[in-house]
Amino acid sequence: MDELKNGDLFSIADLKNVRISIGKIAEEEEEWEPMGPHPMPRIATLRDWDFKLLNRYKPFYAPVCDMCCLCTYGKCDLTGNKKGACGIKMDAQQGRIVLLACLVGCSAHCGHGRHLLHDMIKKFGRDVPIDFGPEVDVEAPLTRLICGIKPKTIADFEQVFDYIEEQIVQLADALHTGQEGSYMDFESKALHMGMLDSLNKEAADIIQIACYGMPSSHEGGGPDVPLVDVGIGTIDTDKPVIIVIGHNVPPAADIGDYLTENGLEDKVELGGICCTSIDTTRVYKKAKIASALGRQLRVIRAGIADVIVIDEQCIRADILELCQKVHSPLIATNDKAMHGLVDRTDDDPDKIVDDLANERVPGVVILDPEQVGEVAVKTAIQMDKKRRKLRLILSDEEFKFYVNECIECGNCTLACPAGLHIGEANQSAATGTVKPLADFFDLCVGCGRCEQVCKKHIPIVDVITKAAYPQLKEEKGRMRIGRGPVWDSEIREVGAPIVLGTIPGIIAPIGCGNYPNGTKDAWLIVKEFAERNYIVTLTGCMAIDAGIWKDKEGKTLYERHHGRFGAGGVLNIGSCVSNAHIHDAAIKVASIFAGRNLRGNYEEIADYILSRVGACGVAWGAMSQKAASIATGFNRLGIPAVVGPHSAKYRRAFLGRADLKEDWKLIDASDGSEIYIEPGPQHLLVACETVEEALPMIAKLCFRPSDTDRGRSGKLTHYIDLNLKYLNTYPPDWHLFVRTASDLPIATRNALLKKLEDEQGWEIDWKMKKITEGPIRGYDPSFNPTNLERLIRKKR
Amino acid sequence: MEIPFDVANIPGPEMGEVVSPEVIGSYISNAERPLLVVGSEILRDDFFIEIAIEIGKNGIPIAATGHSIRGFVDTEYADNVTYYNLHDLTNCLRDPNWAGLDGKGNYDFVIFFGILYYYASQMLSCIKNFATDPLIRAVSIDRYYHPNARMSFSNISPRREEEYKDMLKRLVKSIRR
Repeated sequence: MDELKNGDLFSIADLKNVRISIGKIAEEEEEWEPMGPHPMPRIATLRDWDFKLLNRYKPFYAPVCDMCCLCTYGKCDLTGNKKGACGIKMDAQQGRIVLLACLVGCSAHCGHGRHLLHDMIKKFGRDVPIDFGPEVDVEAPLTRLICGIKPKTIADFEQVFDYIEEQIVQLADALHTGQEGSYMDFESKALHMGMLDSLNKEAADIIQIACYGMPSSHEGGGPDVPLVDVGIGTIDTDKPVIIVIGHNVPPAADIGDYLTENGLEDKVELGGICCTSIDTTRVYKKAKIASALGRQLRVIRAGIADVIVIDEQCIRADILELCQKVHSPLIATNDKAMHGLVDRTDDDPDKIVDDLANERVPGVVILDPEQVGEVAVKTAIQMDKKRRKLRLILSDEEFKFYVNECIECGNCTLACPAGLHIGEANQSAATGTVKPLADFFDLCVGCGRCEQVCKKHIPIVDVITKAAYPQLKEEKGRMRIGRGPVWDSEIREVGAPIVLGTIPGIIAPIGCGNYPNGTKDAWLIVKEFAERNYIVTLTGCMAIDAGIWKDKEGKTLYERHHGRFGAGGVLNIGSCVSNAHIHDAAIKVASIFAGRNLRGNYEEIADYILSRVGACGVAWGAMSQKAASIATGFNRLGIPAVVGPHSAKYRRAFLGRADLKEDWKLIDASDGSEIYIEPGPQHLLVACETVEEALPMIAKLCFRPSDTDRGRSGKLTHYIDLNLKYLNTYPPDWHLFVRTASDLPIATRNALLKKLEDEQGWEIDWKMKKITEGPIRGYDPSFNPTNLERLIRKKR
Repeated sequence: MEIPFDVANIPGPEMGEVVSPEVIGSYISNAERPLLVVGSEILRDDFFIEIAIEIGKNGIPIAATGHSIRGFVDTEYADNVTYYNLHDLTNCLRDPNWAGLDGKGNYDFVIFFGILYYYASQMLSCIKNFATDPLIRAVSIDRYYHPNARMSFSNISPRREEEYKDMLKRLVKSIRR
């Protein structure tokens, strides 16, 4: 018999009407690591770990809505933690809504990943190897950790998505009326969803890296990835311009291929918004990034695009209307976002181009990514000629007319998510001072709600864009293209300094652009920590926004700092799905540096990371449901996150209480003894009001019980210094992190000892320069912290 | 009915009452353990720091959230001011057993002042929904109508800044402790 393959059919000659289908053929598996206790965990498998986290970092709820209206018993008033008709209390209802948000976010990444896998198998076949080059052996840490699988080809991710999809359905089931009733269990499920989401992201990014040859550790990858232009001002509007928006790169990649194959690379601009633009720069070297998500409306309104191509996620729901207004034909390429357009997937490309270029249709759906390139490029070339005469930025006269029309009724301010006092700025512009309006360009989150309520029908977004136009034209930054995985060799170099604390932390600015005070905060966060020798790993819109600002010498942060995963590095890891590599870096510290087994061993690795890896996520402008599931996934793995003030609207935080001693008890795995520790990290998810408050908070959330005295001294230096720099005072809790005199920075040790003596009543032996009484615990270099009793080596 | 400063921020059946500065002053006067929570918006004008300090001088402790602590450090007023992250502080407030800033227990009346609108609104929502036994009354003295506060001023546009400042002066004047 011929060799059988998965999915083959065969007939047996003597048996009529019998046909046997071969399903999955079990192959002998390579022995690579013993299987851990929790491969492919189900809803309740890691519940004990979740409860350990949730008992220390108790869910905090701030409802956006005091009612429940999910079933016909309702609306139910839950104010004051009352029960609804079904018996659910306000706290559980909030947990339920959080789970719902994580479900939506996780499903978006899962749908994206599965869709990508289908497209890639169709284009490249099932056997594309997962080969990230000589510096990456641990190719898929989350997949190994959660699924117990070592993927060799992209087809191996089919079983990963099978697992995730099954779990998503089970978790969605828990949302139904009459299911879960405990907020703690809703949160455990949300944490499970977050973990699945991290797995989605890893799978999706690995698949696209493998298939498109995106940077990894092959030549030119890692720290050596090239820089790319960022900013509206970098788009050359003298050429036909294609703008791609979304997250799923195959259609944009096809445009790049078409341009290359037809020698049009220098004749047509391919730019993008949001994560698709980041991923496009990973596959097409001439691609540019027009903006992050926050400027989507304004880039479209500015009319720079001769054609707009959308795929999925974070696309404006009114995209078609916006495109029609500026005569930019729209090509929708994903069945999750078709915007009422006609599916023309199998039509003759020239016929489609003709219809689009002559504006017989405002847009089309093309669901086969390999058909998008030709249509998009040909349409852009034709539209460029027609659109040249359009003038989409307001004239000086129009601008003057509109600002004088404003009656300062305040409706726009009440509608504005940022509460901007637009009327005041209009008034100022009417009297000749345009700066306040121009300044709003960066502060505005670009939603357009203001225009709908304006009694005078002022196109407020356009008025702000006009005011800021001179700066806008000069918005020309640089960013490293997404480098993908952190190399194993880099982890070998920095694993020890991270765990011992001598590299003070890994800071991960990620996510969307709903900032409280503009994009410059993203730049400041990166600058502050990179200059202090933290490792800064960025993804998504924060990676873009941090790249548009320059220092006095005209250099961006990506030009100023190296791209290695090492002290002082500023790394663009890639798009939203790439941020799985930040989880992976933390996991690889446990695996490569500490030698812990990964396979099916989530709980132990998360425990290790929580106690030893000083990493902190920063989602300063988190907006979407994906951001909710991303942060929750980081949290289950033991990585805290600081979010911006808008994120209080996610309803839930995970907050520790430094004043509750019993919450901070750990086990020394060496002998099983219980030890009260300092609150490190104090929170798992916390919002700060301003960037000035966030900077010291981020530093604070890098303390870990495993820090050596030298490492703690460095972390304490930054924590105190950032407080003095941005809050003008010492932090009220700095003493909690002092275990011994050698934890104190040498330069200020005596002064700090004196403060401990005077302000905290600690006893100091001044002769020996030692603390004799006061700290929560002493410093023990052999302390082997864990939250898991099963890891105790030998009970005392 | 007053429109919330963020127009769609309508939480449900229980929405805050718009009151005069004197009413809030009277509640502060009668509170057993009031707490003033200030945010970074007070830094936009020294006047607001002065108002916070005036309230503080009535023996009311101040939790300085965001980076508002800078204003107090710069004016060298440190008697009863403590930096606290607002999320962290609100989390403590919902715990009846919290020892408070002075170790003497939780508070019964909380005044929000100078805090970013939407962040304050969410924290007021937490207090309204979960700090119920014993009850903590949370009020806002910002220039926004806060539906999640038990009592609030109405929306006051920047054009009426002087009127708002007058209201704050009236509030301070009406506190008797």
